[in-house]
Amino acid sequence: MIAWAPAAWADPMPNLFHSRSELRGWECEDLSMREGARRYPGRVVQSESRAVDPDRRLVVCAERWLRPGVRDPREDAILSELKATADGLARAAASTRPELRSRNWLVEVSYPVPLVSGKLGFAVKNALVDDGLSVSDRHPALAAGDVSVLARLPPLDAWPAACFRWRDSGALGPRDALLAVALLDPRETALHAGLCVDGGWSWLR
Amino acid sequence: MVTPARKGDLLTSRLAIVPLLGLGLAAGGGCVVHTYQPLSGLHRPVVVDPTAPNLADVHLTVRCLTGPYVHTSDANVLCRKVALLFENQGALVTTSLGGPPDEEEDRSEGPAEPRPIDLVVELRARKIHEASPPLGWVAMVASFSLAPAITEFTFEQELRVRDANGFLLSEDRLRGRIVYWYGFGTWASNKLLDATVRESADEVVGDHANRALSDDLYAQLSQSVFDARMQARVLDRTATPGAGR
Repeated sequence: MIAWAPAAWADPMPNLFHSRSELRGWECEDLSMREGARRYPGRVVQSESRAVDPDRRLVVCAERWLRPGVRDPREDAILSELKATADGLARAAASTRPELRSRNWLVEVSYPVPLVSGKLGFAVKNALVDDGLSVSDRHPALAAGDVSVLARLPPLDAWPAACFRWRDSGALGPRDALLAVALLDPRETALHAGLCVDGGWSWLR
Repeated sequence: MVTPARKGDLLTSRLAIVPLLGLGLAAGGGCVVHTYQPLSGLHRPVVVDPTAPNLADVHLTVRCLTGPYVHTSDANVLCRKVALLFENQGALVTTSLGGPPDEEEDRSEGPAEPRPIDLVVELRARKIHEASPPLGWVAMVASFSLAPAITEFTFEQELRVRDANGFLLSEDRLRGRIVYWYGFGTWASNKLLDATVRESADEVVGDHANRALSDDLYAQLSQSVFDARMQARVLDRTATPGAGR
């Protein structure tokens, strides 16, 4: 029992030392020893001895920054993958329309929570800059009448209409390209992206 | 030099061990605690409520692919349960085990009906790793099941959602780990903790692991399919701009 106790404490399973609820706050992944030695050099040592089972696996766990339940689940899902999401959106924009690389890029985010909206916008702009694009902090404005009409449209129709109005009102010029990031339904955890160029709208994902 | 009387005592004591060993095995074999640990993807935050009509405009085909880890009967059961999960959310569901889906029948019901979204959900499970150290079993028998023997395995549930044209809308790999602890010592200590210290949500002995795995799996399936539904709507709008919904 004494020899078993340290192993039990280290094993991220419900046991004498950790409850199931507590362990839900850990992020764990299962790796081969080879992969573990590659990702954690010096901490995981892959033995070359024939006596050691070559198929041994490793479980690597890290405690989450925030316990489950502290943040809204949708925000938790989106913000925990923020960098990957932002990089993916920027890559989709830059690779789908490579001829727009010389344009001035603007970012608009439609998300119900202003704080998260700000984080998303900042992350996407950073990702575009990392991709070598020129990014502006300017937000294209719309007249109050346009806003009241667009607010009554479903999101899938509102964005193309807004793009058209930005071009007509001069808020977006021929040297500009706008990447929009939108949450189209409060029940989803994946964000959508669209491109507004010269009054024409296209959904990227 | 051993006297005949001592020889007999030695023989008797050795023979006495056999039924005790058998008792240890029998006691250990009936006392099993199994625990479940979610790995990649299985305990991601979920927003969708699986009891709400999230998929009312969706025709769903669920394909449960068989393999070395999932036999036909298991795939059948999984398909039925997953079909019920999505039917409860308002989807019209058909199931198939492996192979290409059957020919699509004409589902149009008149010019005024909005076009439903056709999705195909493919489920494939595989075992990543399994271990059952023999020394653990020896220790369990030798200690009359006070020390546990352990069997663990890591599984992966692969989920793919495609639209009617076969375009991949979303792909997910959900990994988890199941550990079986055999032995009276482990069973009794956990039973005692369940009865005295642990809250009901943290109890270990019983069917809690299966229920937790089912809850996690069905929640992730619901969220992935809903996200794919939204993606399909966006792509459909891209293909047919101006199409009313």
